[in-house]
Amino acid sequence: MPDTQETVPPIVHLHYDKGELIMKEGDYGISIYRLLKGHARVMKESEGKEIVLATLGPGEIFGEMTFLNKLLEARSASVRAVDDVELEAWHPARLTNEYKLMPNMLKYITNQTLVRLNRMNKVVTQLTEKKKKEKEISSQKDADASKRKSYRKNVDMTCNYHPIRWSNKAGSICHITDLSLGGVVMDVNAKNALNFSHEKNDEFNIGTQLPSGKELNFAAKVRWIEKKREKPDQLHLGLEFTDIKGESARSLGFFLMP
Amino acid sequence: MTVNSQTFAYIVNEEEYPDKAVILEEGAKGDWSYVVLHGRVKVKKKTPKGAVTIDTLNEGDIFGEMALFQKEGVGPWEETRGRRTAAIVADGPVRVGLLDKQKLLDEFEALSPQLKGLFKTLVSRLEKTTKKAANLVVE
Repeated sequence: MPDTQETVPPIVHLHYDKGELIMKEGDYGISIYRLLKGHARVMKESEGKEIVLATLGPGEIFGEMTFLNKLLEARSASVRAVDDVELEAWHPARLTNEYKLMPNMLKYITNQTLVRLNRMNKVVTQLTEKKKKEKEISSQKDADASKRKSYRKNVDMTCNYHPIRWSNKAGSICHITDLSLGGVVMDVNAKNALNFSHEKNDEFNIGTQLPSGKELNFAAKVRWIEKKREKPDQLHLGLEFTDIKGESARSLGFFLMP
Repeated sequence: MTVNSQTFAYIVNEEEYPDKAVILEEGAKGDWSYVVLHGRVKVKKKTPKGAVTIDTLNEGDIFGEMALFQKEGVGPWEETRGRRTAAIVADGPVRVGLLDKQKLLDEFEALSPQLKGLFKTLVSRLEKTTKKAANLVVE
């Protein structure tokens, strides 16, 4: 469609690869997106887990909540590409004037739909959480049994880490606070100088030194992520070992012995 | 919430229903939109394990409006177009107003394709999420 107003930014075409995050809950953003090709998943984050609200296909629009609800300053959900996705991004200025001039009754109906959608989103999020908790309780018995067998120690170890696919040795500083035979819990800075992300299932190479003086090198995958409310830049990550070899595995075993 | 004057201007007819009367049936064809004038209605959704009440609407709330935004167009709306996506059942005696569908439709049709797309999306999202919520309730 030709632009009649020079002030309206043009429509931008974007491409996302499978699995990529298009929009993040809590982020500031004003664009409205329309899917041209592929599928995308709308999700809410809850306790480091992703709860799927809807899967969208070609022709469908997202990012409209921030436009329609002027009180919303941040994205109310995340959107991730399910397969290779092509989309167009509209600047809201394209629609703002038209929306203002729209008959009041249509605005009223739109608002009601929006309120109901938010209510249903909440229902889905809450029920999904509840179901997950019930599952966790029912599997608690097994977890308790296996906990006794594995040794776990609270530690305070400085470490260095970088994404596993990186060939260079540059990394960021992290702090391991909890160590077991299965994995580690560590604190990291969400915004690091090297600009890599922290998503669930991201895999990192991590190097540190045990209090015993022995070196410990391993690869581990992010299982859960916790944001600290008081320190939004700090992330609390739970990682599971994916590769720990020879000397490192032996040193860890000795260190964790009661 | 009460019914505002702008809504009153769209009312072309009024209907009264006794407690538990089915005002709209899920899956049935229909394109009238309604406003609750007095009383309360339940939104019920069918699931593989029976029907569940998923929402309650009060005075001033509108229902049946999904059909309006889904009237035309291709895409993810095709499947349910022109059919009621949930049942509306009276919760106690209720009075509802029928909204001028031609006026609403004309107003809607006058919008740009972008804005229309936006509303269709919103309605389609509400439909999907409601279905999901209903299934979770009975699971």
